[in-house]
Amino acid sequence: MSLRKDGARQGPPFRRVLIANRGEIALRVIRACHDLGIETVAIHSDADADARHVRAADQAIRIGPPPASESYLRIDAVVEAAVASGSDAVHPGYGFLSERPAFAEACRDAGLTFVGPEPATLRGLGDKLHARRAAAGVGVPVVPGSLEPIPVERADGFDAIADAASQIGFPLLVKAAAGGGGRGMRVVLEPRDLPAAVAAAAHEAEAAFGDGAVYLERRIDAARHIEVQLLGDAAGSVVAIGERDCSVQRRHQKLVEEGPAPGLEPAARQRLHALATAVARAVGLRNAATAEFLVEPGGEAWFLEVNARLQVEHGVTELITGLDLVQEQLWLAAGWPLGADVLAVAADAAHPARHAIEVRLSAEDPGRGFAPTAGRLGRWRAPSGLGVRMDDWVEDGTVIGGDYDPLLGKLLVVDADRPRAIARMVRALDELEVSGLQTTLPFHRWLMADPAFRAAELAIDFVDRRWRPDAMRAAAAGVAADAAARHHAADAGHPGQVMPSPDGRMATPTGSRSPWRAAGRAEAVDRWPR
Amino acid sequence: MATMNEPLRATIEGAEPLVVDVRAAAGGHAATDDAETGAAPPMRRPIVRRLAGGPAGARYEVVVDGWRFEVDVEPAARAALRDRASRGGTTGRGGGRHVVRAQIPGRILAVLVAAGDVVDAGQALLTVEAMKMENAVPAPWPGTIARVGAVAGQTVELGDELVEIE
Repeated sequence: MSLRKDGARQGPPFRRVLIANRGEIALRVIRACHDLGIETVAIHSDADADARHVRAADQAIRIGPPPASESYLRIDAVVEAAVASGSDAVHPGYGFLSERPAFAEACRDAGLTFVGPEPATLRGLGDKLHARRAAAGVGVPVVPGSLEPIPVERADGFDAIADAASQIGFPLLVKAAAGGGGRGMRVVLEPRDLPAAVAAAAHEAEAAFGDGAVYLERRIDAARHIEVQLLGDAAGSVVAIGERDCSVQRRHQKLVEEGPAPGLEPAARQRLHALATAVARAVGLRNAATAEFLVEPGGEAWFLEVNARLQVEHGVTELITGLDLVQEQLWLAAGWPLGADVLAVAADAAHPARHAIEVRLSAEDPGRGFAPTAGRLGRWRAPSGLGVRMDDWVEDGTVIGGDYDPLLGKLLVVDADRPRAIARMVRALDELEVSGLQTTLPFHRWLMADPAFRAAELAIDFVDRRWRPDAMRAAAAGVAADAAARHHAADAGHPGQVMPSPDGRMATPTGSRSPWRAAGRAEAVDRWPR
Repeated sequence: MATMNEPLRATIEGAEPLVVDVRAAAGGHAATDDAETGAAPPMRRPIVRRLAGGPAGARYEVVVDGWRFEVDVEPAARAALRDRASRGGTTGRGGGRHVVRAQIPGRILAVLVAAGDVVDAGQALLTVEAMKMENAVPAPWPGTIARVGAVAGQTVELGDELVEIE
């Protein structure tokens, strides 16, 4: 998208940009800047001194020790680095300071352009209730529930809460007004659990966000999570350029995203896009943002929230549209109007010509409830080839600790339609080699073969309902035990005991079929030295 | 080291430990038991890497279809001898004491057991905050808590000893 046909945009939008982030998104933003001829400044904690984003940038500035609260979350240190490096703009990426109004303000006060919305918009959207009221105000349906914080503090408050709850109906969710990422959220199945859930959610919200305000919302189970990608300029024009289905989640966090949302007719797609742009205009959106909806099987869409930043999964929309959303963010932040190619994409957004899928490869154990894992990566061989994109930041030997989020990389594929995109993802996942850490790779391999996923029977409870890893993991354990033993025998000078079969695949030992039976038998035999 | 056709014991520790005795059979294919039929699922060639350490013999990292295991390999006869010794003649899973280690660096939020407690497999032993999430550490095996090596508020590193179960 570097060749602009509209002729309006000339030269790079900025001379030097500081990237206030780390990991894959820092690298992603650096690439977009360099493509535009913009110099880049990386920041890093001591844990990332030799990270890829540091090596890729034109200069790098240390901002503190490994804990995020002492480095990437320090507004003063980041702004000081931007000023000292002579940057004229700051790109916040996602997470960390990206949605902190105080950071956007501090940038502005220091004479820096913040690549994102106005501080006031961030402040408004940071309060989920404000966004719900704004949406309801322009006639966009919001998930049934309260529009004001529930009176946790008032002595007579509980009767009011119970009344509101009975009107909404059970099961319902208690959510933090300042919330995100599933924190400060509680599921309440029946009325008697309500007081404890409200107290727990308020306490967690206070601890996590410094704001204990909570509200009630109906829980919608069978729904899909569909979000619309928006771009807005300083003059107030807002367009939708496509949607993504992010229903494959665990703990309210996304694992897989794809676009366009399978099964949406063009008319339904257009309606959803129109709802999203209506909300965006109501909250005064500038720059890139995403409006999230729950969509019920009947097609009814309920507004959830607006994220006024680049999303982790923005690459899905890039592969479908051919736009570079980070470059668009930079042009928009510099005050340029929406470009001609953005408008062209928006005009045709109901008829996407390609299908893209993203899987998040994380340091998590899908066999143990996606618990985080840590250690040193052994081998990391990313897939490539036509229609494959890997946005990663790790390499052989990268140490993954507990300081930052567990995302190692995002693997994306694009093809003409969904079945071909899935086939391409299967191929790409086969190419990926990773050792040293347990990752989410086995989940994604399973998902791409799962009949319900292939049939696009998507819903936000998909993973809870269908992911049963024990037998798969057990079969793999049998193969692993056998492979190690044969490798050891070969090491000890007995070649011929490790025999790859002619097709290049390892001969699968009989033990892999039932490792538990094999283990039981191993226990049963007399293992006294013979 | 191992002689031709000497059985090897491969052990995967964890929540559901797997112990497999492997004997190299004629024709080079390792086999763990008698001929059993059934189609094996198609699998990619495993990644096998020798690691440092291991209580006995050699430790390997093996990744099969994205599932990662650490496998200890030693001559089956030697393993049996050690089992017998530590077990003191009783039956049951060998090894005696088992140490639960931190799987990730983080901060201990709560310790839920004390020495002498009897725990079931899967019962939460403690909770650890890591990567902004609260994680319960379950008992990998049933048994009696022999020792608790962590206190609430403490920061733990990968591999630190948390709890010992008999």
